Amino acid sequence: MTDETPLLEIRNLRKYFEESSNVLDLLLRREPDQIQAVDDVSLTLNENESIAVIGESGCGKTTLLLTLIGLHDITDGEIIYKGTPVSEFDKADWKDYRSNVQVIFQDPFNALDPKMTIRESLEEPLKIHGIDDRDRRVRDVLEHVELSPPEKYLGRKPVNLSGGEKQRVAIARALIVEPDIILADEPVSMLDASTQAAVLKMMKELIEDFGVSMIYISHDLSTVSYISEHVNVMYLGRIVETAPTGQILADPKHPYTDALVSAVPIPDPGHDRDRTRMSGAPRDPIGLGDGCRFRDRCPAVIPPDHLEIDQEAFREVMEFRELLDRDEIAFDRVVETIDDPDPDDRTMARALKQEYFRHELSGENEATLTESLIALANEKPDVAARRLKQRFESVCETTPAYVEAETGWNVACHHYEESTNETQSTPAKQH
Amino acid sequence: MTEPLLEVEDLTIQYETDGGMLTAVSDASFTIDEGEFFGLAGESGSGKSTIAKSIIGGLDSNGQVTSGTIRYRGEEIQGYDDKQLNEAVRWKEIAWIPQSSMNSLDPLQQVSEQAIEIGQVHTDLSNVELRDRLKEMFDIVGLQESRIDDYPHQFSGGMQQRAIIALALFLEPSLIIADEPTTALDVIMQDQIFKYLDEVKSELETSLLLITHDISVIFESCDSVAIMHASQVAEYGSVAAVHDNPRHPYAFMFKEAFPDVREPDRELEVIDGYPPELIGDVDFCSFIDRCPWATDECGQRAPNMESVDDDDPTHVAGCFRKDEAYELYQSERDHARSEGHSGEQTTAVTEGSD
Repeated sequence: MTDETPLLEIRNLRKYFEESSNVLDLLLRREPDQIQAVDDVSLTLNENESIAVIGESGCGKTTLLLTLIGLHDITDGEIIYKGTPVSEFDKADWKDYRSNVQVIFQDPFNALDPKMTIRESLEEPLKIHGIDDRDRRVRDVLEHVELSPPEKYLGRKPVNLSGGEKQRVAIARALIVEPDIILADEPVSMLDASTQAAVLKMMKELIEDFGVSMIYISHDLSTVSYISEHVNVMYLGRIVETAPTGQILADPKHPYTDALVSAVPIPDPGHDRDRTRMSGAPRDPIGLGDGCRFRDRCPAVIPPDHLEIDQEAFREVMEFRELLDRDEIAFDRVVETIDDPDPDDRTMARALKQEYFRHELSGENEATLTESLIALANEKPDVAARRLKQRFESVCETTPAYVEAETGWNVACHHYEESTNETQSTPAKQH
Repeated sequence: MTEPLLEVEDLTIQYETDGGMLTAVSDASFTIDEGEFFGLAGESGSGKSTIAKSIIGGLDSNGQVTSGTIRYRGEEIQGYDDKQLNEAVRWKEIAWIPQSSMNSLDPLQQVSEQAIEIGQVHTDLSNVELRDRLKEMFDIVGLQESRIDDYPHQFSGGMQQRAIIALALFLEPSLIIADEPTTALDVIMQDQIFKYLDEVKSELETSLLLITHDISVIFESCDSVAIMHASQVAEYGSVAAVHDNPRHPYAFMFKEAFPDVREPDRELEVIDGYPPELIGDVDFCSFIDRCPWATDECGQRAPNMESVDDDDPTHVAGCFRKDEAYELYQSERDHARSEGHSGEQTTAVTEGSD
């Protein structure tokens, strides 16, 4: 099979959920907000390939996985398996797909039925998919996942296995139906380091021996090189960077990837790594709108050309504008910091500044901010937002396109778009 | 030399089980000085959490210290009951950040209420002073001071974790015991937390007992480390000494099992087998069944913790072959590596066929 058709192709996949609407929404006929869990994701998995999707909790990687196995409907886009879109699948196609696409979940402690013996657990998928020769297959697969001799394990129940052994059984269970694709969701994150290495090593060998392909999903960049040749970094529903593993670890291009790589602890007391400059956590993927999704936390967000402003100070303005847009300014809390029970707009503006800004602005920047905060205190958030936007709008508020920085290496960041700056600027790296 | 803050000496802890006395900790010794960050590393089941629990009197009811001592500022505390411990060490002296700390805030109380409750029991400060103190701690852990009156659910996961650290710091304890405080968190969040712990170290001179299976976190953030295997301390010393010149086979194999993003192609060490379940006294090396260099002697008695022969008397290892094992390991590994490489030269191109 050397034809050009990829094994699995994901094209511009979107999976949105509707935020549960309440009575007030119904009365006001408001559209509930969309949760954009997976937004415009494209991936290609070729035969005998292992690719990784890396991102923090809440980035949408697990939703992506559940959508891939048909547990979620697709909002938009296509999943194409061996040339056929899943939207055109009939019942038989689905059955075939489900046996060919197997999942290994994060938690080996809950993935196995505690009442079943290992033999029963492994025979079950064979029965479901009507495969014979069960005894031989069960023994074979146990040998492959290095649980040997099989006799020692066949009669046991999960409670009598260690964490590493359980995960091996879970892997055996996925392999036993001889799938084309394995989707592995944090398969080693709950295991001890000594076991982790062994399980990763084994999975890598299985990919080669069984000729299966894998999508490896994890938040951990430190182990990804042992299992995948290609890495996709995901942030708030979107892939921000995709590149060969070695290259992305050595020279991350997207500021988010850089933050992720440089936050990985280095097991060497002689190495002096700087702690992360990132603060906070990713926001909820609700009503995200246009723009780079990382802009509110990005240490390299791009100020308008004419503006003279410190990066840290600009980021604070950016963050504040985001909060303002999302109507999340905590006025109640700010009021409590003021002694005056009935403060005037200026006092309120000062208190807002105190609460949300640690860096001093100067000149026109300062004047615009103060003016906007007074407007905000005067209950004119629209005016405040407009003023701030006029002066501080960043190119990062438009959605960046994928740019091929090098062959096979795509980045969605305005720093890599040539039109942004004549001299292509690269963000200051922490790594 | 000033007196160490915490001294654990020849500590043995056993649990009464149906199968007999299960030894969780055997003859473990280490000390923590004032301002020192100390890491206790090992696989699950090595006994590291049991040690931590014994220090604050939190052992399960079937567990007990059967021999050895725990001294806090020179005072023996291993026999103290709850009341004595509350007076002597808990909160005021030793604070505890548990493993599942996400659930350790009371969801029905504002963080400030929880802090004031603790403060009223353990200090003479007024409520206003307590609130100011909490604000100060919020600032150190990077939370807005105005948020002390929030309820736990108003914080994100990482912020809750920081609020817990702020509460742990609140009475300015001399020692914080943190049991896998960041294991459930993403790397960026983990790094944020340690950034604040660094801050705590430099500003408050607090000591830390960090328990984790992740040696890379310890190498980065601690001054010294003890690596435990199945109830015994295998090796103990400054992080630099243990990293650069490890002597116990478990210590160096454990270290080599960890990936390092700087070397994505390095072969990871695999330690075969699992830690044994130990019934009765452990009068042998508990690593014997997993150790490639074990000899008969290892099964006959437990090795003493002895200084390894460098110029650093604080660096000790409990292994009969500590003077030669690491060299044997390195030469075997180099050998395997050179063989492995010549083998890879003949890369077979396999065509997939069904």
